[in-house]
Amino acid sequence: MQASISRVEPKARRGPTLSSIAIYGLLIFGAIVVIYPFFYMVMNSLKPGPEILHSPNSLPTEITISGYQGAFERLNMFLLFRNSLIIAVSVTVLNTFLSALAAYAIAKIPFPGRDKLFAFMLTTMMIPTVLFLIPTYVMMYRIGWVGQFYALIIPSAVSIYNIFLLRQFIASIPNELIEATRLDGGSEFVIFFQLIVPLSRPVLATVAILSFMGSWNDFLGPLLYLNKPETWTVQLGLYQFQSSIPGQFEQEKWAAMTLVTLPLVVIYFIMQEQFVKAFANTSLK
Amino acid sequence: MALVSKSKSGRVVEERTPQSKASGGSSLVARIRRNIWGYVFVSPWVLLYLVFGLYPLLLSFYLTFFNYSFVRPQDEAFTGIGNWVRGITDGLFWFALFNIVYNQVIFIVLKNGLGLLIALGLKRITKGGRIFRTIYFMPVITSPVVLVLVGAYIVSPDGPLQSLFLQAGIMKTPVFWKFADWLPMPVIALINSWKWFGVSTIILLAGLYGIDPTLYEASSLDGATSWQKFRYITWSLLRPQLFFLLVVDLINGLQMFSEVYALGYDVYGGPNHQALTPVMYVYAQAFDRSNVGYSSALGLILAGVIAIVTLIQFKFVSSDTTSGD
Repeated sequence: MQASISRVEPKARRGPTLSSIAIYGLLIFGAIVVIYPFFYMVMNSLKPGPEILHSPNSLPTEITISGYQGAFERLNMFLLFRNSLIIAVSVTVLNTFLSALAAYAIAKIPFPGRDKLFAFMLTTMMIPTVLFLIPTYVMMYRIGWVGQFYALIIPSAVSIYNIFLLRQFIASIPNELIEATRLDGGSEFVIFFQLIVPLSRPVLATVAILSFMGSWNDFLGPLLYLNKPETWTVQLGLYQFQSSIPGQFEQEKWAAMTLVTLPLVVIYFIMQEQFVKAFANTSLK
Repeated sequence: MALVSKSKSGRVVEERTPQSKASGGSSLVARIRRNIWGYVFVSPWVLLYLVFGLYPLLLSFYLTFFNYSFVRPQDEAFTGIGNWVRGITDGLFWFALFNIVYNQVIFIVLKNGLGLLIALGLKRITKGGRIFRTIYFMPVITSPVVLVLVGAYIVSPDGPLQSLFLQAGIMKTPVFWKFADWLPMPVIALINSWKWFGVSTIILLAGLYGIDPTLYEASSLDGATSWQKFRYITWSLLRPQLFFLLVVDLINGLQMFSEVYALGYDVYGGPNHQALTPVMYVYAQAFDRSNVGYSSALGLILAGVIAIVTLIQFKFVSSDTTSGD
C-alpha cells in the first residue's frame, strides 16, 4: 500500500494517477464497510416481521413502520428513553459544570496545595475502573441506592478526564483578562460565569458531548443498578429484548436499535468537530 | 506571595505591586478570599472522590479478607489471605485472562493497522477527506450494545457475510461461531476493530500532519525507497501516537465486559467459557455466586495485572526509543 502511495509523490501534479485512484478505491471500500451495518439495521427495521426471519439480507419487499409503532407500544420505548434522558442529561449538566469549576480553580487560582492536588488527580486516572465495580456496589447496596438513578448520576457528576481537558484550555486564557475583571470588583464566580464560560464554549461542548455519550451508551452501570423494568435505560432495554424469546418482536427489536442509535447520530452530525476533537485531544497529553 | 509567583501570573502580580503597597491589607484579604473560592471550586471533585473513589478502594481491599454475601451480610467471616490464594490459583480466572489477551492481540493489530492504513490514505487525498472522516467516525459514537448486536447478525450463520462467502465458495458450511471454542474472541475483536478504528485514524492522522514534509523530500534526494521512508520516517515519528493507542487500548480492552455480555453469553462466557473475560468472571463471582470478598480479590489481581502490563509497555517503549533512534 505504502509503496504505491509513495511512488506518486514526485509526479503528483499529473492529476489523477493510478495510485490516487487506488487510494480513493480503498477509502470508498472502507466507507461502504462502515456504513453497511447501519444500512442493514435501518433496512430490517422497515421490513414486515416474517420477512426479517426468512430473508434478513435482502431489501424489503414493502416498507412498513409498524416495527416503530410496536417498539413504542409493546417494548415501552418511551419509558426507556425517558429514563436514559433523565440520567444522561443530569450527568451532562452536573459533570460539565462541576468539572469546569474545578478546572478553572486548577488553571487560574494558585491556592496552596493546588499542584499536589492536580498531580494526585492525574495519578487516579491510571486506576483501572474494574477495581470500583464491586466495592461501589456494596456501598450503594448499603445506602439503599441500588435501583435508583442516583447510583448512576452522582458518581459521574464530575470527572478528572474532563477537568484535565478543560484545564488545558482555560490555562490558555490570558491572565490579563481575568485580572481586569477582578479589578472591576468581580468575584471568582463572576469571573467564571462572565469570562471563562463564554470563552471556553467549544471545549465545554466537547466535554458535554463526552459526558452525554458515555452516559447514554453505558451498559454495565444500568445492568448493575437498575434491576426493575420501569427503571431500565435504552441500552438495558435493548439487551433485555434481545435475550427474550428468539423470533419474537423481531421487527420491534430492529426498530428499537435504530431509535437508540438515532439521538447520538443526530448530535454527531450537528457537532462533528467537537466529537472528533473529544477523541483527538486525548493524544495531546 | 511565594505561592503566587509559582504560577504563570507572576508578571501580573509584579505589575500590581505598587498598587498593593498602597492597600496592602485588602490585597492579602483578596488573595485569601480567592484561595477560598479555589477550594470551594475543587471541593465537589474532592468530596466525590473520597466517597466514590478512595472509600471503595479501601473497602475493596478490606473485603478481600472476608467471606461476604449480599444475601446474608450477617455471616461475614474473616478468611485471611484465603481469597487471594484462591484467586491466584483459580484456573478459570487465568483462562479468562488468556481469552482476553487472545482477543486483544487480534483487536490491537487489526484496529490500529486499519487506522494507520486509512490515515495514510486520508493524508494523500486532496478532496473528500472530511466526508470520509465523518463516516469512519460513526461507529465510534454508536452504543456498543447496538453495534455488537448488529455486528453479530452480520457475521451470523444466515447473515450477509457468511451468505456471501458461501455463494463465493470460500466457505462450505455456515459457521456457528458463537458456540465454537476458539471463534468468539476473534469475531468480537473483528466487530470491535470495526467500531474503534476511527479513533486510531484520527489520532494517527494528526500525527502524520505533524511530520515535517521536508524529511520525505530530503530522503528522496538521498535515494530512499518508499519502504525505507515508511519505516524510518513515518513509523518512527508516529511512535508516540502508536504507543499512546497501545497503552489505552490495553487498559480498556483487558476490562471488556459489555461487548461480550450483550451478545447473549451468560456470565461464564458460554458452556465452554469460550467467551469468558476477567471482568465477567469478577461479576459472576459477586452477583451469581455471591462471593463478594473473593470477587474483590479477583478485581485487585486483575488491576495488578493491568498495572504490570502498563509498566512493561512504558519500560519497553522508552528503552526502545532511546536505543532505537
